[in-house]
Amino acid sequence: MTKLLTGMAIAVLSTGVAMADGHLAFTPGEGDFNWGSLEAFAAATDLSGQTVNVFGPWRGDDQALVENIIAYFEDATGANVEYSSSENYEQQIVIDTEAGSPPDVAILPQPGLIGTLASRGFIEPLGEETEAWLQENYAAGDSWVSLGTYAGPDGEDRLYAFPYKIDVKSLVWYVPENFEDAGYEVPTSMEDLKALTEQIAADGGTPWCIGLGSGGATGWPATDWVEDMMLRTQPPEVYDAWVSNDIPFDDPAVIGAIEEFGYFARNDAFVAGGAGAVASTDFRDSPKGLFESPPQCYMHHQASFIPTFFPEGTELGVDADFFYMPSYAGKDLGNPVLGAGTLAFITKEGEGARAFLEFLKTPIAHELWMAQSGFLTPFKSVNTDMYANDTLKKQGQILLDATTFRFDASDLMPGAVGAGTFWTGMVDYAGGKDAAEVAAEIQSSWPAQ
Amino acid sequence: MHPAILGLITIVIGVGGCIGYFWFSNVILDRVFFPPSGPNAGRNINRANAIRPWLFMGPAILALGLYLAYPVVATFLLSFQTRVPGGGSEFVGLDNYVQMIGEAKFREAIFNNMLWLIIVPAASTAFGLLAAQLTDRISWGSFAKSLIFMPMAISFVGASVIWKLIYDARPAGSDQIGVLNAIWVAFGGEPQQWLTISPWNSLLLMVVLIWIQTGFAMVILSAALRGIPEETVEAAIVDGASPWQIFFRIKVPQIMPTIVVVWTTITLVVLKVFDIVLAMTNGQWETQVLANYMYDKLFRAFDWGVGSAAAMTIMLLVSPILVWNVINARKEMR
Amino acid sequence: MDNIAGKKSSLTWAVHISVVVLVALWLFPTVGLFVSSFRTGDQISSSGWWQSLSTQESQLSPIRIEGDETATGDAFVIEGTLISGDTTVSAWGTSSREPNAYEPGETVDLGDGQTLTVNDDSTYVLTGPETFEGTRLPRVFMTASSPPVWTVENYGTVLFTGTAAAGIGQAFLNTLTVSIPATIIPILIAAFAAYALAWMEFPGRALLVATVVGLLVVPLQLALIPLLQIHNTIGIGKGYLGVWLAHTGFGLPLAIYLLRNYMVGLPRDIIENAKVDGASDFQIFVKIILPLSFPALASFAIFQFLWTWNDLLVALVFLGADDDSLVLTGRLVNLLGSRGGDWEILATSAFVSIAVPLVVFFSMQRYLVRGLLAGSVK
Repeated sequence: MTKLLTGMAIAVLSTGVAMADGHLAFTPGEGDFNWGSLEAFAAATDLSGQTVNVFGPWRGDDQALVENIIAYFEDATGANVEYSSSENYEQQIVIDTEAGSPPDVAILPQPGLIGTLASRGFIEPLGEETEAWLQENYAAGDSWVSLGTYAGPDGEDRLYAFPYKIDVKSLVWYVPENFEDAGYEVPTSMEDLKALTEQIAADGGTPWCIGLGSGGATGWPATDWVEDMMLRTQPPEVYDAWVSNDIPFDDPAVIGAIEEFGYFARNDAFVAGGAGAVASTDFRDSPKGLFESPPQCYMHHQASFIPTFFPEGTELGVDADFFYMPSYAGKDLGNPVLGAGTLAFITKEGEGARAFLEFLKTPIAHELWMAQSGFLTPFKSVNTDMYANDTLKKQGQILLDATTFRFDASDLMPGAVGAGTFWTGMVDYAGGKDAAEVAAEIQSSWPAQ
Repeated sequence: MHPAILGLITIVIGVGGCIGYFWFSNVILDRVFFPPSGPNAGRNINRANAIRPWLFMGPAILALGLYLAYPVVATFLLSFQTRVPGGGSEFVGLDNYVQMIGEAKFREAIFNNMLWLIIVPAASTAFGLLAAQLTDRISWGSFAKSLIFMPMAISFVGASVIWKLIYDARPAGSDQIGVLNAIWVAFGGEPQQWLTISPWNSLLLMVVLIWIQTGFAMVILSAALRGIPEETVEAAIVDGASPWQIFFRIKVPQIMPTIVVVWTTITLVVLKVFDIVLAMTNGQWETQVLANYMYDKLFRAFDWGVGSAAAMTIMLLVSPILVWNVINARKEMR
Repeated sequence: MDNIAGKKSSLTWAVHISVVVLVALWLFPTVGLFVSSFRTGDQISSSGWWQSLSTQESQLSPIRIEGDETATGDAFVIEGTLISGDTTVSAWGTSSREPNAYEPGETVDLGDGQTLTVNDDSTYVLTGPETFEGTRLPRVFMTASSPPVWTVENYGTVLFTGTAAAGIGQAFLNTLTVSIPATIIPILIAAFAAYALAWMEFPGRALLVATVVGLLVVPLQLALIPLLQIHNTIGIGKGYLGVWLAHTGFGLPLAIYLLRNYMVGLPRDIIENAKVDGASDFQIFVKIILPLSFPALASFAIFQFLWTWNDLLVALVFLGADDDSLVLTGRLVNLLGSRGGDWEILATSAFVSIAVPLVVFFSMQRYLVRGLLAGSVK
């Protein structure tokens, strides 16, 4: 029986390999890619006959993109990579690691979850060399190192995860021509943004489209708002203290940030459909209001991925554009950038897994995705001309220029809060509950240390 | 070799192995160990008959024990433990239960679950019985049955998509794409975010499950209705009973055991269902149910202790049904 | 006599009408999804599916003029059609503030000497004194009525494009390989166990029945980690054998419960007569019980098949999530992408995945009915 099943697996495998061959998205040697880094990597690594299992969050179109990158890794090393993903990847990775059949490398967007796995001893540390590499090669290297550093099973802090593919969240999307038609200017400070919001409402328009709906994850778009507001009203140290619960969730600083979000989201005149629609409008449908005629709203706060959900044929930079969510001119807090991203980590020690992580340190592994779409990186050695379009390049620049970069707090908090009560609490708040009350409830759900 | 052929071979081996077990085990029992012939024929038959039930049930007991009973025991133990950083866990007594009962979301889930347990089985069984009785009397009944059964063929995820579309709301003034709001607006209402309005939203989620489970109830009850001996119905007609009387006085009592089975089965589905709640509201706006609460604790909060405690609560809720079934089984055996 | 006949026929009519209403109610949600699967995402989110059958007058999203210019004398001209198909424009504009400022056919001065004309068939003429090259062309807002448009593009996307194309056939086979044994094995095992629980005398029978009912309620999520752990320890790992066993374990309680209940109801005399004639339990089971239980077996087979076919969780955990072992539901769910939620893809996927269960149900139903009739002849 086992033999038969293995035979079947091999037959199936060989078709997979055949498909991957000859499917390179960009011909090696052509264009301004850092092909040299790929050649050097290929010369140093040989994994012929080995299989590397990679588990990631990307499905659908994104899966095709990541498989294009993997094809170069396979080409360079001779290894066969099995990429898999799952709708509920958090659940899948927990089950697989707990049950003892983990992939070799996993890539996930939730540092909080990775931290949990690390503390249970399911992840291999990456070592000091990688730590030094990040310090040196990523812009704002310190913040990236601390992002991937967690307490291991023995309580010691080590670098466990390698950030790869970043999203910038502090963006406000708008339709330039709608602004021109109405004579509005892109605001450069939070004070201006609020003045613009009030002016649009006074002119009879609706300034914002806000939608928190996301099925089981309903509420998360509001956490981005609160985090952006936190970075714009408090110094980054307070933000860090909030994430680690060194200041409680119901601290006046946090309540203040929640109420800043409420200024926009809880005013019937400021949001399309009225404040009552905020919690249940799907975040994917929400930006469509920008493009309707007459426009349902003028601005939409969302991360760099959102153009995927713009109507078909929308040309970025012409039909739609973004501006950096501005900071208060009156507060001296610099230009903080809120972001998110995915981190790669080793769930099963092995030559293949280590080689895959090394591959992610080559500029080519970043450029190949930059040239496809939807990929930002703080890697300083990449050729930024390789970004597929100017919009991406502009976002990449925000990342390279950031005076402060902070990761999405809800992804850093323990799952019970960051993927639980923070979401649900924000839904309650958007529905009219008192900010202090919501914050106190979230604080009470914080797991005991 | 083509994967289809390999698939076929694996299928044949899997199914063949299973048939083989029952065949050979019986042959061996009858021919080798206790042949019903020779000097000890009588004793051998008795011995073989004492062993045979366990032969028949062997695979079932093994599979049930390993795949269901063992996880239940493991869960029971986990519900008294908590994880300590660095692996391993320690015994904490009833702490997990105390913490769980202290959570507002848990109490909300218990309350909602009670509503679900009353409304969904009752409505599904009633609609199923109605559909079974009506479709049995008309020529295109089996076609109608297929259509009512169709939701059973749709996965919970698919069903959630369908009903989300129905409950969808657009801002006032623009075209509604959800049927419910379109009707509501046509009668002069303002568009409503139905899924956020408690307690109606819980009811709207129940409608999805009722829609799915009615097909199940109908198929089982329809088989039972056809099993009713013609004579009893004919006798009632001769006595001048109205169709209503025939249905409620003659037919329903005769299929009562089946109705109970259907009711029980749907009750158990209700206790376990979480896909619908997860996909449509994730327990927000006061729609939390126990199964989704458990899922939340297990895979979002990674709190195995409280998650296990929630699972034990679900299993506790089923105990009345359990007791009732034991009594029933005893009665059948006389 | 006439009176009774009249009453009877009016009652028959009432039955027919009730069934029509019931069927319509139950079908309505699915029809909505089915119709939606032939519409584009933008259509789904801008008008109700029940309106897709009629000509719609609606405010369209702005369309940007694009095309090659031709130089005629001292002017540059771009001509073209904004919307292909049978569309009638009733008003148009160039600003989001006044999307319905102009009548069709009107020529409007856009400033800088540029003029734009949009006709009711959505053809347009844009003229200007200087070349348009390098400038941003204006957007046109229109209120237009368009006849219903249908597309099979969604089905093309789900079945034949990108990563789906390579894998959908494989996924289909994987699903069959999972669900056929996962349907037959538990039925076989359960039928034997149900017979033992219904008709054989042995100690602890009632307790076993109760245990089966109790196990019906075990939440699947709890069992996943301990079971995968067992599979990894004993060397089954991830594979078809593991999925079959898991589905068998999870499906057994319901199977035993339903089948036992049915078998208990079978007439006692037949079985006792057979015993008197010297038939063994095995013979009674194979020759009498199995044929008589056909309807119950068939209905459970349908439920179990539907459940394994629609299952995603068990397959992902016990079979794996890589390209070669993904089942159909997994493949379709993955199509939705990391952030998911396109209604047109969801709707289409739902129909692709229920196609097989529906075929199975409709073809099995004939046997089901035949079996039911056979079963009722006592």
